[in-house]
Amino acid sequence: MMAIRELKVCLLGDTGVGKSSIVCRFVQDHFDHNISPTIGASFMTKTVPCGNELHKFLIWDTAGQERFHSLAPMYYRGSAAAVIVYDITKQDSFHTLKKWVKELKEHGPENIVMAIAGNKCDLSDIREVPLKDAKEYAESIGAIVVETSAKNAINIEELFQGITPCVFWSSPLHSGPQKAGSADGSARRRKRSTLSLKCNLRFLHELGDFLRFMSPDPTLGPPRKWKQWSNQTWEAKHANQPAVLLIEAHGPLYLKKPEPPP
Amino acid sequence: MADNLPSEFDVIVIGTGLPESIIAAACSRSGQKVLHVDSRSYYGGNWASFSFSGLLSWIKEYQESSGIVDESPAWQEQILEDEEAIALSKMDKTIQHVEVFCYASQDLQEDVEEAGALQKNHASATSANSTEAADSACLPTEDESPSTTSSDVPAEQTPRSDPGSAPEGAEAEVSGEKENLCDDKTCVLSTSEEGTSENVPVAEDITEPPKNNRITYSQIVKEGRRFNIDLVSKLLYSRGLLIDLLIKSNVSRYAEFKNITRILAFREGRVEQVPCSRADVFNSKQLTMVEKRMLMKFLTFCMEYEEHPDEYKAYEEMTFSEYLKTQKLTPNLQHFVLHSIAMTSETASSTLDGLRATKNFLHCLGRYGNTPFLFPLYGQGELPQCFCRMCAVFGGIYCLRHSVQCLVVDKESGKCKAIIDQFGQRIIAKHFLVEDSYFSENTCSHVQYRQISRAVLITDRSVLQADSDQQISILTVPPEEPGTSAVRVIELCSSTMTCMKGTYLVHLTCASSKTAREDLEPVVEKLFTPHTEMEIENEVEKPRLLWALYFNMRDSSDVSRNSYHDLPSNVYICSGPDCGLGNDNAVKQAESLFQQICPNEDFCPPPPNPEDILDGDSLQPGASESGDIPEASSETPKEHANPEKPEEPSE
Repeated sequence: MMAIRELKVCLLGDTGVGKSSIVCRFVQDHFDHNISPTIGASFMTKTVPCGNELHKFLIWDTAGQERFHSLAPMYYRGSAAAVIVYDITKQDSFHTLKKWVKELKEHGPENIVMAIAGNKCDLSDIREVPLKDAKEYAESIGAIVVETSAKNAINIEELFQGITPCVFWSSPLHSGPQKAGSADGSARRRKRSTLSLKCNLRFLHELGDFLRFMSPDPTLGPPRKWKQWSNQTWEAKHANQPAVLLIEAHGPLYLKKPEPPP
Repeated sequence: MADNLPSEFDVIVIGTGLPESIIAAACSRSGQKVLHVDSRSYYGGNWASFSFSGLLSWIKEYQESSGIVDESPAWQEQILEDEEAIALSKMDKTIQHVEVFCYASQDLQEDVEEAGALQKNHASATSANSTEAADSACLPTEDESPSTTSSDVPAEQTPRSDPGSAPEGAEAEVSGEKENLCDDKTCVLSTSEEGTSENVPVAEDITEPPKNNRITYSQIVKEGRRFNIDLVSKLLYSRGLLIDLLIKSNVSRYAEFKNITRILAFREGRVEQVPCSRADVFNSKQLTMVEKRMLMKFLTFCMEYEEHPDEYKAYEEMTFSEYLKTQKLTPNLQHFVLHSIAMTSETASSTLDGLRATKNFLHCLGRYGNTPFLFPLYGQGELPQCFCRMCAVFGGIYCLRHSVQCLVVDKESGKCKAIIDQFGQRIIAKHFLVEDSYFSENTCSHVQYRQISRAVLITDRSVLQADSDQQISILTVPPEEPGTSAVRVIELCSSTMTCMKGTYLVHLTCASSKTAREDLEPVVEKLFTPHTEMEIENEVEKPRLLWALYFNMRDSSDVSRNSYHDLPSNVYICSGPDCGLGNDNAVKQAESLFQQICPNEDFCPPPPNPEDILDGDSLQPGASESGDIPEASSETPKEHANPEKPEEPSE
C-alpha cells in the first residue's frame, strides 16, 4: 500500500475570481458556468499519486466568508499552502491580491507556501493584468505563479503539483511532468541525495514534532527515537547536547528558498 | 466592497459569540437563510482570543471607549408610521476595570552595568474605569535605561524594520501603537535566535527560549502572534454537551484539541498535583498506601453513588465538605476531592451537588486521556469560528465590522420585522437573535448583571515544574474568606498554540465580589512573583510574572427574558459567557433558542457524506466533505485528542 501524505491548501481571493471553479476542476474535472457564488464546500479532497506515495490535498474554500471581508483566522490554521487567485481580466482583483497576501502573513501559519493563480487565462483577449506584473510580484514575495483556466482545464493540475515540492522540502522524485509553475529553482535532481546537519537534541525533538504534524501517517513520521523524546521522558536538560541529523532521500531534496527580505 | 447585502433573510444573528454561532450554524444547517453580523472586526465577541497585539488594541479600545459620542440617529427617518424602533447600543459596556501591568524589562539593550543596581520597583497601574484612560502602564526594572523609567512608553524608539513579521490581528491603528511598544527588534533577534541559527538551515521554525531565561517585553511583542489569549477561560468536559455537539455536527474537524495534563491543588501555600485516575493514584508519591486505598474506595463509590443511597442519605442536609469529613479521608484527600475534583464551594454545596460533580468528573476521565478536560488549540476563540464556518458552508452570510442601528417593530403585530444597519439599509427577516451586549440601556434598565473577574498573566515558568515543560494544568485556589468564590487558574503551555515558547499563559477566573484586581491579586501574589532582576541571581521558587491584565466581564447568563423591556416575541436574547468551567450553558441556550426558531428540526445533524452525494449527483454545493478527514488531525492520539476518535478509557 502506498503511503498517503495529506496537505491542507486554502484558497483566497476576491469573490468571483474562480476559486471554487478551480477546486471543482481539480477535484472533479468539471466546470459549471452557473456555479453558485456561495458554493458551500467546506473542503474537497483529491488524492494524487506522486512517486511512490499518494498526496492527498484537502482544499479549503472560503465558503463565501471573504465576500464581506469576514474570513475567520481559523481558516488558515494548519495550512501548508495557500492558493491566491486573481482574475486576469480584472485589474482590481490583482490589486486586492496584495491585501490577501498581507492577511495571510498576519494570520496564516509561518512559512506557508504561497501560489498565485491568475485565473480565466482563456479570456486573454480581454486581459487587464500582464503576466509580467504577476511574475514580478510573485517573485517579490517568494510565491510561485501560474496562469490558469478552470474553464478550459489549463494549468490546474500543474498549480497543485507545483505546490507539493515546496511543501515537502524533502520529497521523493516527482513522477509527473514538470511544467510551468512547478518547483522553484532550488530543486535539484539527483538520484539519491543526502544532507547532514549539525544541530542539537532540541532541534531534533522539535523537528520530530514538526514532521509528525506534517505527516498524518504514523509510519511516515519520524523514527521511533523521536517519539520517545517527544513524550514526557524527554528532558529539557539534554536540549543542548550536540547531534547530527542525516537526511537521505530517494530523490532530490527540495529546500525552500529563504524568503526575500521585505 | 461594493457588494451589497441581500435584503431578506430568515434569521439575522447579531453577535458572534459561542451561543450565537452555534444557533447560526444550526439554522443554516436546517435550511434557513442566515445573516450573521458583528460590529467588531473579529469573531467571538467576549468569547474571542487575541494575539498579543490584538489584545493590546482590545485593551486600548476599552480604555478609550468612553470618548465615543453617539451621533444623531439618521435612521429615524426610515421608521414608518406603523412602526417602532428599538435602538441598539453602539458601545459595549460588558468590560470594566481594565488594568495592565508590565513586569518584563523593556530595556533596549541588555545593560550589564545596570543589572546590579538597586531600584525599588513600583507598579503604576492605569485603570479604565470611567473617563480615565491612559496608556498601558509599565513597571520599570533595574536594568532599564534611565530614560524609560517613567510609566509611559519608552521615549527612545527604533523604527520597526520588518513589517512582514508584524504580529497578527493588527489594524492600522494597532500597528501604530505597536511601533511604540516594540522597542528594538535587532536586539531581540540577536538574543533569541543565536542558539539555533548557526548551523541549522531550517531554524526559521525553531525559536529557542533565551538562554538566560529573561524574556523581555519586546520579545513578547515581537512574538505576539504566537499568543492566542482567551477573554473567557474555559475547558471542554470530555463528555460535556459541547464535545457531543462538535462530534455530532462534524464541526470537530475544524479544530484540534489537547488534553489537560494535570489537575493541581493549592494547599498550605504549596501547589501539588492531584491524582485522579486510577493510574495516578497508584503512581502518586505524595500519598501513603493507606491514603491511596481510601481515595480509591471513595472515588469508586462516587462513580455509582446513586446505587447506594443509604451511604449518603443521612448527610443530605449537610454540605459536601462536612460529608467528606465523615468519610475516613485524611484532610489532604478531603481537600483534593472538594476543591480539585468536585470543584465545589466549601460552604455552599450540598452533599448531593458534590457527589454529582465528582461523578461527572470521573465519568469524563479517560475518554481522551488522564484528565476529564480538553482545550482547543489556538484558544477557546476557535470554537465560535468553527461554528460560523459551518454556518457559512451551508450558505450563511458573514459580515464583520457591521453594526445594526435598530430593530424595526411592526406596531400592529408587535413583531420585529427588520433591522436597519449602519449604512441605513433595511434588512428583513423572520427571527432576530441578539447578543445581550448589543441592547441599549433602555432595554436592559431592569436587568441585574453579575460580574466575572478575570486575570491574564504571562509568566516564565509553570506553577509546578515537572519533567516536561509542556503541561496544561487547572488549579483551584479555595477562597480565603467565606462568602467569596474560589479562583480557577488555568495554565497553558506553548504547545497549546496560545503563547510563545518559554512562557506560560495563565488565566484566572472567579465570580466577582470587587474589581478583578481586588479579587484576584491576592491569588496572583500567592502563586507568582513579579519579574525583577534580583531574583534571577538566587533561584526563586515561584514563577515570575512578565505581564498581567485584569478586567471584569459582565455575566449575563441566568438573566431571565422578562427582565428586558418589552421585546417582540421573535427577538431572542443570547447571553454572554458565564463564569463556569464548561461550555454546557452556551450549548443548552443555543439548543433551546434553536428549538424556538425551528421547532421540530434536528439540532446540528451531521452533514451528508460527500461520497453519497458525489455518486448520485456530481455537484452538490454544501456537502463536499469527505468522511475520512478527521483522521488527518489524529496522528498523535496521545497529544492531540480528536473528539471523533475517543481513545478507549484506560481505566
